[in-house]
Amino acid sequence: MPIIQLEDVSKLYGFGDATTLALDEVNLTIEKGEFVAVMGPSGCGKSTLMNVIGLLDRPSHGNYQLENKNASRLRPNQAAKIRRDTVGFIFQSYNLLPRLTVLENVALPLTYKGVTLTRRLKLASQMLERVGIQDREYFYPNQLSGGQTQCAAIARALVNNPKLIIADEPTGNLDSASSRLIMELLADIHKMGNTILFVTHNPELTRYATRVVYMHDGSIIHDERTELGKVATRARKVLYTLPEKTSEEDDLAGVSALMKGVPDKAAPSRKPRKTTKKRTKKAASSKTSRKAAS
Amino acid sequence: MKSLTRGHLKAGLDSVRGAKMRNFWTMLGIIIGVTSVITVVSIGEGVKQQVNGQVHHLGKDLITVQPAELNPKTSFSSDSIGSLAGLRITGSLSQRDVDVVTTTKGVALTAPLSAVTGTVHGDKGNYNNGLIMGTTADLSNLLNQSMAYGVFLSDDDIGQNVAVLGSQAAKALFDVDVPLGHSFTFHGQTFIVHGIFNDFSDTPLSAEDDFNNAIFIPYDVSESLTNNTAPTYQILARPNNPAQAKLVATSITNGISKVHGGNHDFSVLQQNQNVANSSGIVNLLTRLIAGVAAISLLVGGVGIMNVMLVSVAERMHEIGIRKAVGATDRQILSQFMIEASTLSLTGGVIGVILAYIIEFFLRAYTDLQPIITWQIVLLATGVSLAVGIIFGTIPAVKAARKAPIEALRSE
Repeated sequence: MPIIQLEDVSKLYGFGDATTLALDEVNLTIEKGEFVAVMGPSGCGKSTLMNVIGLLDRPSHGNYQLENKNASRLRPNQAAKIRRDTVGFIFQSYNLLPRLTVLENVALPLTYKGVTLTRRLKLASQMLERVGIQDREYFYPNQLSGGQTQCAAIARALVNNPKLIIADEPTGNLDSASSRLIMELLADIHKMGNTILFVTHNPELTRYATRVVYMHDGSIIHDERTELGKVATRARKVLYTLPEKTSEEDDLAGVSALMKGVPDKAAPSRKPRKTTKKRTKKAASSKTSRKAAS
Repeated sequence: MKSLTRGHLKAGLDSVRGAKMRNFWTMLGIIIGVTSVITVVSIGEGVKQQVNGQVHHLGKDLITVQPAELNPKTSFSSDSIGSLAGLRITGSLSQRDVDVVTTTKGVALTAPLSAVTGTVHGDKGNYNNGLIMGTTADLSNLLNQSMAYGVFLSDDDIGQNVAVLGSQAAKALFDVDVPLGHSFTFHGQTFIVHGIFNDFSDTPLSAEDDFNNAIFIPYDVSESLTNNTAPTYQILARPNNPAQAKLVATSITNGISKVHGGNHDFSVLQQNQNVANSSGIVNLLTRLIAGVAAISLLVGGVGIMNVMLVSVAERMHEIGIRKAVGATDRQILSQFMIEASTLSLTGGVIGVILAYIIEFFLRAYTDLQPIITWQIVLLATGVSLAVGIIFGTIPAVKAARKAPIEALRSE
């Protein structure tokens, strides 16, 4: 059963000349229990994809279903409730509140759920025990090492028992030992049945993933399933060998329906880049659908 | 839901605790506003109560007849009369007028007040401070003033050299605590003390002359001492029926006017008129100053709004984090609202405490008797809370409306 279904999801930022296309008609289906690594160069739209999936951001176009419910046009309050109950976030910069203790930070999502204070703190404490830093409960985030801080952030993401965990470069600020610790932790969580999406630049970490998605310029250009414990070796190849064939057809039909919404001034400068993207996107989407079918 | 509110309250309080100095400056506006509102209104209230207390003491139906042509530049002036500020007299009231008032229909009690000049020689020496007043037996009833010792002048004392003293006069004249039966000399005649008044709690009839310093002697004695030149500066009267006070006042006016050959060189005042006038003015002034103070409360509110706006901008990232872990707009809103109201309510409470301290010093070092009523405390605290909520709304709404991803991105 798919937990995430994206159909032609696009995300535009800015207006007029300054418009940038962060996601370009992305199609992606993620099944329950998958451990997906998202890779790609900076600015390729990985974070935007995470934000859209995690309901922090809304897609400009397209359809997004989370747990088979339409989630592309939610009101802010509905989105907040789904974030609270279904999604757990882990950020590269930890994003703990500096003025609260670790325990209070972990208990924060429960606060917004309306759990009583004592129960909140008990659950938060249990969660900290699970991530192995229970002895740091009453420390403030700035008193912890990077790895410990990220552990606390993971505890916070887990405290509501979310079905989906989204980690945007969870190891980006950490040394390799701490990275391994964090990834082992995520792998443990995956074993408990959670669906995990994580963004990384480090091909080594795809060892932990069951599926690797590569993005470029807002599109998914490659999508492969990997065995646990093996690095997805196609990563680099796909990233740096862009398709060379150019078909006349694609060039002519290059302006997508989406780009019609962009004012004319923007169109000329955008057109050449657009056409290459179109090609890669087509290739990627055909692969995605093949994968989904298999 | 209850625990939820408590959670917000804690979050709000935490951030208030976090930036103590900034919060103090924010609250200062509210503190000054609340303090000044309460102080001003309490002073006004005190003055009003003093005025009202006087009326209550004298009774609202008291009628006063005074000479009307008051001339401050009159040459008629001596030590004791000179202290009768605003009561410099052209000498237009006399025994005849007293008789008119006494015989007017509906008048129950009448007492004239005449002022005699001169120096009193008592056990302790000369006494110049007080008034020596000629009056009749009804005065103590008219003033509702009780005696500390002895009795007041009675009808039997007419023509006798007896006197009743105000409490201060008694202390100034004699060494003994209770100088009943002691005597003093005045205009060469010996007067025997018959009674001593209790302290007059306020100064009836005019603000300047303190009856605690006065010496009362029979009216006809005062006349005979001065060969009928002692000016009668007031005639007090009380009607049988308080409801008829106005009617009686009119007939007194007509009566005296007839005796004076149609000249209106006197005025007949009813006590409640005086009071209505003065407390009206006090009320007006209180409202005026309270209005000015209310503006400072408003300015305090704007200060709170500014600090909250800065706080919202500074903490955008925090708002983003809170939203990412599932805070709804409403929850963010209430957090910031609680923060703003905590600030302003704390300011209000500090303001109230400060107002009480100021009240204490005013009572101790000035003549003012400010009265802080619970209504004004409640009002000022309530207004400060309202200011916090109203001016906290705009920043709170700004914080709550922010899209989570934008909030998260800002540092």
